[in-house]
Amino acid sequence: MLRIVLGRLMALSTIALAALGALPGVAHADAAHPVVALLPGVTDPFYFTMYHGAERAAKEEHVQLLFQVPKAWNTTEQVPILKALIAKHPDVLLVSPVDKQQMIAPLKEAADAGIKVITVDTFIGDGHYQTGKGDADFPLSYIASDNLEGGRVAARALAKAIGDKGTVYCEDNKPGISSTDARVQGFMDEMKKHPNIKVLETQYNEDDANRAAAHVAAVLARNPDLAGVFGANTFSGSGAAQGVKTAGKQGKVKVVVFDAVPGIDEKISSGLVDIAIAQRPYDMGYYAVKAAVDAIHGKKIPAYRSTGFVVLDKSNIDMPEMKVYIYSN
Amino acid sequence: MNDKRLDRLALVSKVWPWLFLGALLVFFEVWARISAHRSFIFNAYNLQSIGLAASAPLLLAIGQTFVIVTAGIDLSVGFVMGLAAVCVAQFTIPGGGSPWVLVLSIPLTILVCLIPGFVNGVLIARLGVPAFIGTLGMYGVARGAGFLAAGSGMTVAVDNAGLAWLGQGWTPVVLTAVLLAFMHFVLSQTKFGQYTYAIGGNPQSAVRAGINVRRHLFAIYLIAAAFAAIGGIVYTARFAAGAANAGEPMLLDSIAAVVIGGASLFGGTGTVIGTLIGSLIIAVIEFGLVFIDVNAFWQFIVVGVVIIVSVLIDQYKDRLGGAQ
Amino acid sequence: MSDAGAMPVLEARDISIRFGGVEALKRVSLHLMPGEVLALAGDNGAGKSTLIKILSGVYHADAGELCFDGRAMQLRDPQDARAQGIETIYQDLALADNLDVGSNIFLGREPTRRKLGFQVIDRPRMAQVAREVLERLDIVIPSRKLGGPVKMLSGGQRQAIAIGRAIYWNARVLIMDEPTAALGVPEQRKVMALIGSLKAQGVAVMLISHNLHDIFAVSDRIVVLRRGEVAGERQVPHTNGDEIVRLMVGDTWANGAR
Repeated sequence: MLRIVLGRLMALSTIALAALGALPGVAHADAAHPVVALLPGVTDPFYFTMYHGAERAAKEEHVQLLFQVPKAWNTTEQVPILKALIAKHPDVLLVSPVDKQQMIAPLKEAADAGIKVITVDTFIGDGHYQTGKGDADFPLSYIASDNLEGGRVAARALAKAIGDKGTVYCEDNKPGISSTDARVQGFMDEMKKHPNIKVLETQYNEDDANRAAAHVAAVLARNPDLAGVFGANTFSGSGAAQGVKTAGKQGKVKVVVFDAVPGIDEKISSGLVDIAIAQRPYDMGYYAVKAAVDAIHGKKIPAYRSTGFVVLDKSNIDMPEMKVYIYSN
Repeated sequence: MNDKRLDRLALVSKVWPWLFLGALLVFFEVWARISAHRSFIFNAYNLQSIGLAASAPLLLAIGQTFVIVTAGIDLSVGFVMGLAAVCVAQFTIPGGGSPWVLVLSIPLTILVCLIPGFVNGVLIARLGVPAFIGTLGMYGVARGAGFLAAGSGMTVAVDNAGLAWLGQGWTPVVLTAVLLAFMHFVLSQTKFGQYTYAIGGNPQSAVRAGINVRRHLFAIYLIAAAFAAIGGIVYTARFAAGAANAGEPMLLDSIAAVVIGGASLFGGTGTVIGTLIGSLIIAVIEFGLVFIDVNAFWQFIVVGVVIIVSVLIDQYKDRLGGAQ
Repeated sequence: MSDAGAMPVLEARDISIRFGGVEALKRVSLHLMPGEVLALAGDNGAGKSTLIKILSGVYHADAGELCFDGRAMQLRDPQDARAQGIETIYQDLALADNLDVGSNIFLGREPTRRKLGFQVIDRPRMAQVAREVLERLDIVIPSRKLGGPVKMLSGGQRQAIAIGRAIYWNARVLIMDEPTAALGVPEQRKVMALIGSLKAQGVAVMLISHNLHDIFAVSDRIVVLRRGEVAGERQVPHTNGDEIVRLMVGDTWANGAR
């Protein structure tokens, strides 16, 4: 009896699906209803702030904005979502690739499918697009902070804070991410100009604040005279700050963090963090959508756009015009 | 409850993963048609994407199926996959881009990654350590080994025409399908498969029947490690770089696929085809939710609910069976 | 009663074994004739389980010898015992609950056939043998349950399958440890009937049981063990429950045919 029922159900669904198959299908997003997709790296107030900026631009330009966030900073998380977005065939894809090497092929798929690709915050290949060279050349634009400069800014700020001498090191997510790699690179390059500052080996915490804190404790144990730590991204910074606090070295070990996460104002006021280098993710999202719309309308867009930094410390953190630079959900 | 109704319920509980997969496909198809005027199913790109997304955890899940049928579990498969991804990259690089180096680097990678499987076998089959604890140990060891093998970066980029071919288009899906068919055959038709079920159902009776349980369990954990290694190799082929944490999200997906497919974590039941359906269900949910523009975090909840329902049905199946 | 001549199919002579400081069996001798049901009775700790483990190859006696069909027999392991034709059914039945009847009967010795160049298990044959064996034992299992896991069957049916497995493999001696312990009364009767039909087929059965009623219902002879020694041996028609209990507990010391 059940077999008959099941059989009938199967027959019905087959017919239904076939009927659906006969319906006029495929309609790409057309010029009157442009669709832009935003695919950041992971859940993070930084990217949500970027989303807000993108949202505002999308509203101004009357485009539909799709937004999906990977669960973890991992190729295996970002690629399936990328593929699902490609299947929706937006006009432009704004993406923060989680690996500058591994994401080349998957993003090429998007480009080959006719979707314009713009990378925000991180890049693939070497970040120089539209040069005619290399296999990571196809994106139209890279919109981000100049992370190399950001690293230099952080180094200068930290050097000043520790009196231009002492031992420091960098706490980083993992190598292979263009943004943090550049920050650390800029930091190292700038520190070469400060002969009295010794830079220890960089520690990688895989975006885990707990691990970053543990690293700080370990480095302190081996170098009790540690003078400063540079947290190259959000979790690196917050973990490093916690590690310094737990060791009771607040104020003695200067902490420079990249990114102004929610609560950074309290952390700076309380001395947990000495300096925060705020990026401008809102601008990134905003300009990315604007560039996307320009590209849809056939206008040429610059291959690179830098969105600048703001240095936050005790001296300016309480000013209202500075507070807007703190990232938010 | 009379016999006919029992029969009906028993049948439904046996085929429910298929029914659910079908329902999912219909649901997404309808939604996609209505909201986006495009087809979900009748689209080669979608099918390929779902197939690719399913193939990596499925490779792990195939090995995991055998382990779970014996009432064991292998927590190390995720990081063995990462270790393999890194190893195949490292072993292939000296070949200078020629595909022929794969003749050496792929078998060598699999051999190296059989070591964690071997250790698991010794711990569990020989020393009687509970599977959860034994493989938890290798979870850590393989993880560390993977990162060490990757050197200072956590990924190792490799540029090889042979690997690139292996990783493009439908190839990984086809490879997974072939391996799946073979392992389905092994589990359902051969003595090896039969003994796997016997050990899961009643290890004592297997011993009394003259089955060499120790040697069999050894083989099971080697199989799990081998499939994790293949998963890692496919990863590196697809992304032109081996990442030590490649398999990290895959461990729970592999177990979920096996459980949704109808296996009991207490051992004795489960099929490779069931695992296939389980992993397809997960992949379709993940792809589908993004496709219909629902926040991807709902997929956690949906997959979690599906697991709970599978386990409940599994319990119910038991009770149906016990009633007379 | 035996009817196949004077040769015992299984004989134990002066079997002794000790575990650490404890002498579990002390010079135990008994014999078993074809077509005979011998009950092994005794209180807890009397040595019954130890004795049958020796007879089925699990333990090795420290002293004494075993004979099969009059010839000396060395049992290295349970597989040896099975090869000889001694099948043992332990209390837990050693059935794989998740496998079906045929799979259980053939566990470890599955028939195979060639398919596409591979050796696959011959399931149709296993299913057919399952049907035949059950028929031979006169057990009725509805066909929809026949293909399912044996977990779905009643205790008596599972016991029957364990017995069926033994006789399919042409057991000459069937040793059963508490066959009715976990069964309800109607099922106990069925198992007893099964044992009766085994007897009729010439199989020798050795039965451990606490259930005096069962012992008297189906056995021909009773050997009582007490503290590792044979306390007495009686022919069932010539004894009664009280006497057996006294032998078990220690009121009587008498060896002899009465």
